[in-house]
Amino acid sequence: MQTSGRNVTANARPSEPLDRRDPVFHARGLAKIYGEGEAAVRALAGVDLDFFAGELVVLLGASGSGKSTLLNLLGGLDSPTAGTLCYRGRDLATADEAGLTRFRRDAVGFVFQAYNLIPSLTARENVALIGEIARDPMPPEDALALVGLGARLDHFPAQLSGGEQQRVAIARAIAKRPEVLLCDEPTGALDIRTGLTVLDAIERINRELGTLAVIITHNAVIADMAGRVFTLSDGRIVNVRENRTRAPVASLAW
Amino acid sequence: MSLLDCKLLRDLRALKTQALAVALVMACGLAMMITTRSLMLSLTAARDGYYRENRFAQVFARLKRAPNAVREQLAAIPGVAAVETGLALQVTLDVPGLAEPATGLFNSLPERGAPVLNRPYLRAGRLPEAQSGGALAELAVGEAFAEAHGLRPGDTISAVLNGRKQKFLLTGIVLSPEFIFEAPPGAALPDNKTYGVFWAPYKELATAFQLYGAFNSVALTLAPDVAEGAVLAAVDRLLAPYGGRGTYRRDNHPSDRRLTDELRVLKALAFAFPLVFLSVAAFMVNSVMARQVALQREQIAMLKACGFANAQVGAHYLKFALVIVAGGVVLGAAGGLFLGEKFVDLYHIFFRFPALTFQPDLPALGIAAAASALAALAGVAGAVQRAVRLPPAEAMRPEAPASYQPAWFERLRIARWLGPSARMALRNIRRRPARSALTCLALALATGILILPNAMRDGIAHVLDFQWDVVQRQTVTVMLAEPQAARVLADFQHLPGVVLAEPFRSVPVELRAGPQVRRLALQGLPARGTLNRVIDGHPAQLTLPERGLIISTKLAEVLQVQPGDTLMIRPLEGEARDLLVPLVGLADDFAGVAAYMEMGAVNRLLLEGDRVNGAHLTVAAGEWDAFVRALKDTPQIAGCYVKNSLREGFRTTTAESIGLLQKMYSAFAAIVAFGIIYNSARISLSERARELATLRVLGFTRGEVGAVLVGELVLLTLAALPIGLLVGSQLARTIVATVSTETVRLPLVLTPANYAFAIAVVATASTLSALLAARKIAGLDLASALKALD
Ligand SMILES: Nc1ncnc2c1ncn2[C@@H]1O[C@H](COP(=O)(O)OP(=O)(O)OP(=O)(O)O)[C@@H](O)[C@H]1O
Ligand SMILES: [Mg+2]
Repeated sequence: MQTSGRNVTANARPSEPLDRRDPVFHARGLAKIYGEGEAAVRALAGVDLDFFAGELVVLLGASGSGKSTLLNLLGGLDSPTAGTLCYRGRDLATADEAGLTRFRRDAVGFVFQAYNLIPSLTARENVALIGEIARDPMPPEDALALVGLGARLDHFPAQLSGGEQQRVAIARAIAKRPEVLLCDEPTGALDIRTGLTVLDAIERINRELGTLAVIITHNAVIADMAGRVFTLSDGRIVNVRENRTRAPVASLAW
Repeated sequence: MSLLDCKLLRDLRALKTQALAVALVMACGLAMMITTRSLMLSLTAARDGYYRENRFAQVFARLKRAPNAVREQLAAIPGVAAVETGLALQVTLDVPGLAEPATGLFNSLPERGAPVLNRPYLRAGRLPEAQSGGALAELAVGEAFAEAHGLRPGDTISAVLNGRKQKFLLTGIVLSPEFIFEAPPGAALPDNKTYGVFWAPYKELATAFQLYGAFNSVALTLAPDVAEGAVLAAVDRLLAPYGGRGTYRRDNHPSDRRLTDELRVLKALAFAFPLVFLSVAAFMVNSVMARQVALQREQIAMLKACGFANAQVGAHYLKFALVIVAGGVVLGAAGGLFLGEKFVDLYHIFFRFPALTFQPDLPALGIAAAASALAALAGVAGAVQRAVRLPPAEAMRPEAPASYQPAWFERLRIARWLGPSARMALRNIRRRPARSALTCLALALATGILILPNAMRDGIAHVLDFQWDVVQRQTVTVMLAEPQAARVLADFQHLPGVVLAEPFRSVPVELRAGPQVRRLALQGLPARGTLNRVIDGHPAQLTLPERGLIISTKLAEVLQVQPGDTLMIRPLEGEARDLLVPLVGLADDFAGVAAYMEMGAVNRLLLEGDRVNGAHLTVAAGEWDAFVRALKDTPQIAGCYVKNSLREGFRTTTAESIGLLQKMYSAFAAIVAFGIIYNSARISLSERARELATLRVLGFTRGEVGAVLVGELVLLTLAALPIGLLVGSQLARTIVATVSTETVRLPLVLTPANYAFAIAVVATASTLSALLAARKIAGLDLASALKALD
């Protein structure tokens, strides 16, 4: 985190080759329409994608382009109107409420722009709460240490800065050792430095635990830390860019 | 403990005053229900046990005199299980320390062994025994009279038996299932100073009245599963030649009826009023929970996104409500049992049981707890369902801004005078009309429940200070031992101090209207008397017509008759036959039920010529002592009722007990009103926290911001007050009507002071709640209120 911008190149690492045989997420013709008739909004209009284990993906796009909608579908918060969506061969598009709940419980960690911490629970308790429903949770202390918050275990959310709260949210998301980490504008409410600490935490989890991380951002600079960058426009993927090298988080600046 | 439960406890702690307000409202309803139900259970259990142990009879009869051999014939009637016969005679007493003469009902004790039925219960001393050879005759006295005069075994008392004054030694203090409520015949109110019940050995009593070998009172029990009517008819036939005045059952027995009436009053109070409280509590739980779910939208969404199942989320919020309910139930149960225990002692004033122990009505407690839990769950169901239904993706977005429109009244010219704060308050109300209406209704109920307790208090005051003097203008009522020719009135007029004397003729009758029967004393009065007057509901004096009957409104209700209907009168004395009489009017009286006829008409009915039983008198204040002395020396006078001591009796018994209940209800109602209003204020504060913080940030002063919040509360309160007063009056009318019985009734008196009190309590509660809320505004953390905005 304390690395300065000068040794950027020294820290840059080449993207690891992807194992393209077995996608974690596999979507074809994914569409989502909100509302009906006149008021219908086509939020996603046919998205094809494959996300693979261990990669770090960034979703870019203008406001209203459908990023959050896509992320919500991937995370099982919502069901698509049309198209197929599979998680490790499991059909999510037609799964029922209970099936989606189980999927979220076992496989997904969420990080929201608004943190969504329980204000009446401490940092440690917010993380431990998820441990209560997970199959093989890590100790909350370990999860918080991973995001660099080992020293603020017993503080309530109101006693933490925005960046710290967001890192607690990340610790909460990863404490159940999810296979995927879905982050919707995790730095949207944060300043540069704080944003970097948060991105660093995500990057570290992606690297050390091999978790597939999907990050939504408005900020093209952040895209440099990704292996692949998907750009959405009007509910479609209009561009996929593969970074030959993933820039270290510390080198990002905006 | 799971972390969700930990969250629950911390959320509850943050909401503690609100949770406490809800729990208190619920506790008030429950406590009231449990207190009254437990009193009912205690009374019923004490009565049933007493009736069983002391073998209270099922059927009663009075007659002139029958030889003891008739007893065997009574026992032989098929269906009769047990018979007791004896003497019951009214005598005049001379009590040490009491100026005026008192009346005693002397009951005989069997010559051998204990009575088969209506066995007396010995509280102190021993039962009297027949004495021989000049020894002082013995007597046992009823507890109420003994307590009123501080009599103890070993004291002496004088009584006039058959014209001869005699001295008695009191050997014991006694209770009887026949006199749980010890009041003169026909009187609804106990007057333990001038009326008492006594027990004497048969032989002495019978000899004094030249009735040896005979009886004038019968008590029976029936075999199970017999046709009651047939047995009673057989008894009537058998007793008729001996001056039998007809049998009657327990439900016409004055003591039992009074007890039943009391239970009826408790029953009315045990449901109607607490039910209002409990529904208010359910509404409050609903509003607190709905608010809580709205506040925790993002948290709910997060929990679901992280994989918590709907059932887990739903259970979490249900538990939240259940903790509040549990708090209310514990508080209510504790309060109800505590108060019940206190109130049971109070019944000692009215009802004389060997032991009246407090019996907690645990099943009722269980049912009440379950009912309030259900009510609360019903209240919270909507909110929990909303939490469960909340799609997690949806909740990630902030709630859509509410759509505001100018209200119609803002188009009125007057609206231009409203400041921006008032305008915002108006729009807030308009934005959520259903919720505003519910809050308004809750505030109206808070106002309304304050009316009843004070209406009861004012009703008592009205009876004591006004009605009593309007109906009864006499100072004293004197009664003759036997009916006498009307010229006896002249003797009364010559008693010292007597200003006015008005005769009356009173005769025990049975009134029949179809299947409905009541026994009471028919009052023959001058057509338009100046002393004991018959008053209608207006109140205006009624004139007794030459033909026809006027009865108490309550009696008409019991007999299911209306003016114009015909009633059958069966005199229970003398030789007269049954007579059909039209009902011509209804009288508004407040204690007991009565039937009035013009005195001449009564005498014609009885075929006895002009006779009177006594007179109502006014006595000059300065000559009271002389009057009383003269009274004691007038042997044909059997007893008297002094109006003011009856009134005093009412004040210290009925009024006191109702007064205590009233104070409890009043306190509860005030707590509930406070709870409702405080909760409303807190909820609208919470709903507007962000908006108000934003206003503060924009530069509005604390006062201006407070005005938005307080303005809304004030507007809703203003709208609620008139509704509340109306609802409260209606509630009071209903409850006063349901608690009005044949023995004691309260008029519905709604005074401006009562309304003013309700308004004052609500205004105070509103002001205090607004101040508390305003303090919260001061404490609004502007930064964090806005930081959470996304
Ligand atoms: N619940 C909904 N009902 C109706 N329309 C919706 C709903 N949710 C999203 N939309 C619409 O779908 C489109 C895509 O929305 P989405 O939230 O996916 O955009 P986004 O790319 O995340 O934008 P942003 O960068 O502003 O967060 C938008 O036009 C939005 O208005
Ligand atoms: Mg978005």
